[in-house]
Amino acid sequence: MATDKSNMQLVVNGILNENPIFRLVLSMCPAVGISTTVMNGFMLGVAVLFVQVFSSCTIALFKNKIHPRIRIPTYTLTIATWVTVIDLVLAAYLPEAYARMGIFIKLIVAFAIITMRLEMFACKESVNASFWDGIGMGLGFMFGMMALGLVRELLGLGTILGYDVLGFKPLLFFVLPFAGFFCVGLMMAFFNYIEIVYKRAKRA
Amino acid sequence: MKTILTIIFRLTVSCLLAGAVMGAAFVMTSKAKKHNEHVKEQKVMLNLLGYSEKNPAPASLGMHALYRYIVTEGEALSMGYLVPLADEGRGGFAFVAIDLDGNFLARHPVTIAEEEAREADAREQAILSVLGPGRTIRYADQTIIVTDGEKRMAYLLPGKFPGFKTFIKVMMAVDPAYGILGLEIMEHEEDPGLGGEIVQDYFKNQFKGKAFDTIRKLDVVKTPLPGDYLQALEAGKRGGLGAEEVAKIQEQYKDNDIYALTGATISSRSVTSGVKGMVRKFSYRIAILDRVLAEQHIAVPF
Repeated sequence: MATDKSNMQLVVNGILNENPIFRLVLSMCPAVGISTTVMNGFMLGVAVLFVQVFSSCTIALFKNKIHPRIRIPTYTLTIATWVTVIDLVLAAYLPEAYARMGIFIKLIVAFAIITMRLEMFACKESVNASFWDGIGMGLGFMFGMMALGLVRELLGLGTILGYDVLGFKPLLFFVLPFAGFFCVGLMMAFFNYIEIVYKRAKRA
Repeated sequence: MKTILTIIFRLTVSCLLAGAVMGAAFVMTSKAKKHNEHVKEQKVMLNLLGYSEKNPAPASLGMHALYRYIVTEGEALSMGYLVPLADEGRGGFAFVAIDLDGNFLARHPVTIAEEEAREADAREQAILSVLGPGRTIRYADQTIIVTDGEKRMAYLLPGKFPGFKTFIKVMMAVDPAYGILGLEIMEHEEDPGLGGEIVQDYFKNQFKGKAFDTIRKLDVVKTPLPGDYLQALEAGKRGGLGAEEVAKIQEQYKDNDIYALTGATISSRSVTSGVKGMVRKFSYRIAILDRVLAEQHIAVPF
């Protein structure tokens, strides 16, 4: 069963129609816990993008060799391997980037979105399609995290990307973990609303 | 039965493959990673002492590493220091054993090159070979004594203590009176955005300039960080305040407790009590070592 979508459609699909955070509601732990600033969201997004693309391609490449009964352990193993490799390579060759991203990369092993994408997509599709799907999901995750980070950073700390824009801290509780739930819920409702309005406008 | 065997076989192969990939990545990157860590450590040390690219360290600056070991002989425990010797250009090291009451036990000459002494394994081998059989050693910590000519300028204390999740690795610079010159967080796995904020200037710079007496009774308070103090703490990053103003504000707050990070009281407490413990233990250990070195007339370059 090969997908009939073009590469571009796969990427857009990951960002909009099947956005990991607002549509698939996966990987809520980082969405709630770490999306406190735009920069955090961006860093984690980049890290997820890499791991997702590499893991998707690996699974797509070996999909015929994986015994269906042991799919999950194999996925976990693949993800853990890529996370370790990326962690080591960054630490060795890009120490500057590693200093900022190191703590995020190690978190990725247990992300639901990556395993789910391997299960739903990569184990059935070609390497090419999986690559673009990985890109789309990574970008979609990054977009979701940065959107959440923007709202939480602005409302919680009064800053954007660390620059003071408001000059005061309106609602400090927005950077605390529990506010992540409010934020995800409200933004999910917001995106659903936009979709309804958009569809209505299209019909009319 | 056949299915089970297939599953076992495939899973084993996958694990071996994954292991091979990770192992290969580790082998290829370990040298560069070690090098990066060494470079970073050197940079952090000089930064903590107040030197930067604009204000390079003088050539007379000397850094002497001191390694502390716990020696076990049967049930008995004692402590040992690997100290560099100042033998008129000959150099070399000595392993000075001290019992738990602070009395001198023995002195063993250790022949090891300076570069080798930096490698943990080579160092341990050299020490074990002079101690003789029946004794085991365990690495405890390291101190770097910074000298400018004859005078002791500062101590650099690398160390680690438990944080919220795992160990927090730090590097601290203290002056000869054990007041803190600076604190740098080297490695940690606190929660990003919460405990992870310990690396920020507005937290770690609070330790700067605390005198030994203040450190001994240092506590964490959960009141908001005052605005002027925040500005002074972040002066290096934001600018805006002159050096004099920063010094004035620092002076005003130097006897205060540590202001906890919002949402990360445990991380704040761990760092505070960790720093407290490191400084306090170091102060009496170095006093004992200095006394022993003086009593035994062991010439050291610091």
